[in-house]
Amino acid sequence: MSYETETLFVLRGAFDPAEFVGLNLRYDPEPASKPFVLLDCHDQSIRASGRTLLEFGGSLHLLDGQGARWSQRSKGKGRFVQDLPGGPVRDALHRFPKLRALMEITSGVVEEGSLAVLDDLEKTQVRGRVTVLSTANGQATIIRLSRLRGYDKAYLRACDAMLAAGSDRADLSAIVQALEPGEAPYRAKPEITLGRSEPSIQVATDIIFTFLKVARQNESGVIADIDTEFLHDYRVSLRRIRSVISLFKGVCSDDQTATLKKTFSDLMTPTGRVRDLDVYLLEKDIYYSLVPHTLHPGLDAMFGQFQKERMQELSRLTRRLRSKAYQSQMAELTALFSTTEGLQPGPNAQRGAYDYACALIWKRYRKVCKIARSITPETPDETVHDLRIDCKKLRYLMEFFAPLFDAKDFKSILKPLKKLQDNLGLFNDYSVQQEALQQFSAQQSNAQGRVDVKIGLAVGGLIAVLDQRQRAERDRVIDNFQQFDAPETRQLFRHLFHQSKE
Amino acid sequence: MKIIACYSNKGGVGKTATSVNLAHAYAAVGKLVLLCDLDPQGASGFYFRVKPSKKLTDARFFEDVKRFTGAIRASDFEGLDILPANLTYRDFDVFLSRMRNSRSRLKKALTAAGSDYDVIILDCPPNFSTLSENIFKAADQIVVPVIPTTLSERTFEQLVGFFDEHRLPKKKLKAFFSMVQQRKTLHQQMMEKMRKAYRKRFMRSSIPFAADIEKMGQHRAPVVTYAPRGAAGAAYQALYNELENGVVSTK
Repeated sequence: MSYETETLFVLRGAFDPAEFVGLNLRYDPEPASKPFVLLDCHDQSIRASGRTLLEFGGSLHLLDGQGARWSQRSKGKGRFVQDLPGGPVRDALHRFPKLRALMEITSGVVEEGSLAVLDDLEKTQVRGRVTVLSTANGQATIIRLSRLRGYDKAYLRACDAMLAAGSDRADLSAIVQALEPGEAPYRAKPEITLGRSEPSIQVATDIIFTFLKVARQNESGVIADIDTEFLHDYRVSLRRIRSVISLFKGVCSDDQTATLKKTFSDLMTPTGRVRDLDVYLLEKDIYYSLVPHTLHPGLDAMFGQFQKERMQELSRLTRRLRSKAYQSQMAELTALFSTTEGLQPGPNAQRGAYDYACALIWKRYRKVCKIARSITPETPDETVHDLRIDCKKLRYLMEFFAPLFDAKDFKSILKPLKKLQDNLGLFNDYSVQQEALQQFSAQQSNAQGRVDVKIGLAVGGLIAVLDQRQRAERDRVIDNFQQFDAPETRQLFRHLFHQSKE
Repeated sequence: MKIIACYSNKGGVGKTATSVNLAHAYAAVGKLVLLCDLDPQGASGFYFRVKPSKKLTDARFFEDVKRFTGAIRASDFEGLDILPANLTYRDFDVFLSRMRNSRSRLKKALTAAGSDYDVIILDCPPNFSTLSENIFKAADQIVVPVIPTTLSERTFEQLVGFFDEHRLPKKKLKAFFSMVQQRKTLHQQMMEKMRKAYRKRFMRSSIPFAADIEKMGQHRAPVVTYAPRGAAGAAYQALYNELENGVVSTK
């Protein structure tokens, strides 16, 4: 086996020099152990990139599997990477998601020390650094060995001894596994295994059960207000569940379908306003860039109001998420969807998943095409909105049933669909934002319908720009649909979802 | 890159101890240092616990860049490497010219290995030969330990004479008094006399005769690592300061 000049090993458990058979080791631990926090975002993107971020001794330390280490004096917990002071850690994390904050994944105490592999003359042949992390649930030891010039053989022997002692080479993901055994990292879209002939009612419960769990994994982050992605993921999970209920027609009885649809819509309702405000506040910089400086005082006033309203809305939502009524409702729903027994089967309940998927997707695809082909520059905006909603439904259906189909084929269909959806999404955002701005100025006006001049000017300016952008997006819809409607894509749809009918 | 030769045409004057402790002092301030053990009787490698390499007895060794760089050993101190070789004259000649030539394969190989040394310290054999002449030409500074005795005075005179005879730049000569026993009147008188006779050749710093330095053989490490507060360590540090920065310690 070959090793670089630095090799990193992760050992599950504490560090015991006696464990490394055949090595004459000298370990000098530094006197004081310090508290540490292991930081990452909710979906652990640092861990996924093969790295580990630790905060201790007033500094951030980022490690990678090759033995590199970046450090900078700064605190990190609760902050966004782009808001950290400039330094090597921030630079190395430049790909970290902008909307995600660094949060505590686990914490405990860290002990560091230096390590030397000695020969019979007590000459150092290999140097090393040892970092031992201990939490309430486990321990992990990071050992970084450095090759010394002229002592290659000793270095190889030492590396082999590390592996023989059961450590993982260059695999930092072992750290969290060792510190928090049994904790699976959060996934916003977990993989769900489906069988081709699995009854559709089983598919529906599997998907709903999975996304109920995802939604619940985001509750504490919403309450702690760590970043806006928690609420976003929470809403997306509930929306997926609602789509399964409404799109899987005839899987449950009509009555139950209607009840469940209402249940999940009601769960979504109290989150809507906070999410809208989150979006406005996230796009604050863009709004400022849309209008001239002279109108900025109006925007200051508007965003001040938004910020205040968000605090109120969030505390209302938080109270709700903490309430006993909500907690027991979620527990009941989880129990209901843990099996198919509590559901009232409809006519399609036992239909095989593959067959059912083909029928649903084909039908939705035809509907998308029908609406899209009817769109001309004169078509009213409502039809474009309908197209957006049907595209979304098509996308959800395809994502739900993706495990049953060829991944490569799906990718080539989804690419132009995503492009069309982005286009339609922007069209919708600009239209919703204009409405929201109008509503906002109406709220700000007095009994005579007069608005503060600053706010009026800013809102007016924004609406004008947004309207232009909305029209520009609309103009692109026809083009983007034509790309999606290419002969190859049509053929692929037919091949994937309508083959048996030919 | 700077080449410092530790040279004395008389044996047993503390030359190797000087090489070892100076090399350590340079490395301690973050310089990348290569200490070359050129003295067959020398023990620079011994003091760093580096075992002699079998490869080094091969006469054609220096023509093979790979084997040369492969013979370099890291010491226990960051930035300080050892070349535990006793070179023949011809080998050394090749070595020096290659180290000076930035386009040589040797130099490129060292640069590529991340070790473009800032300082090369040569622990030289104690004689006059064509090798010494080449060292005198190649080195930027020649550090000469001199024990303040009558016998040493004569050998130093020979060295200066050699420089005159061969038209070598005497400015390179950085002599200092070694193994000084302040209580001996003879030492004091000799130092005064020689400083007068060779006004520009002697540095102000001197190294005392100290048990700590003799103990290097037992500890097999530079003095400051086992006697960090001793007079000997401080003296080598002062010698380094004067040599490198021209700063004379007032202590």
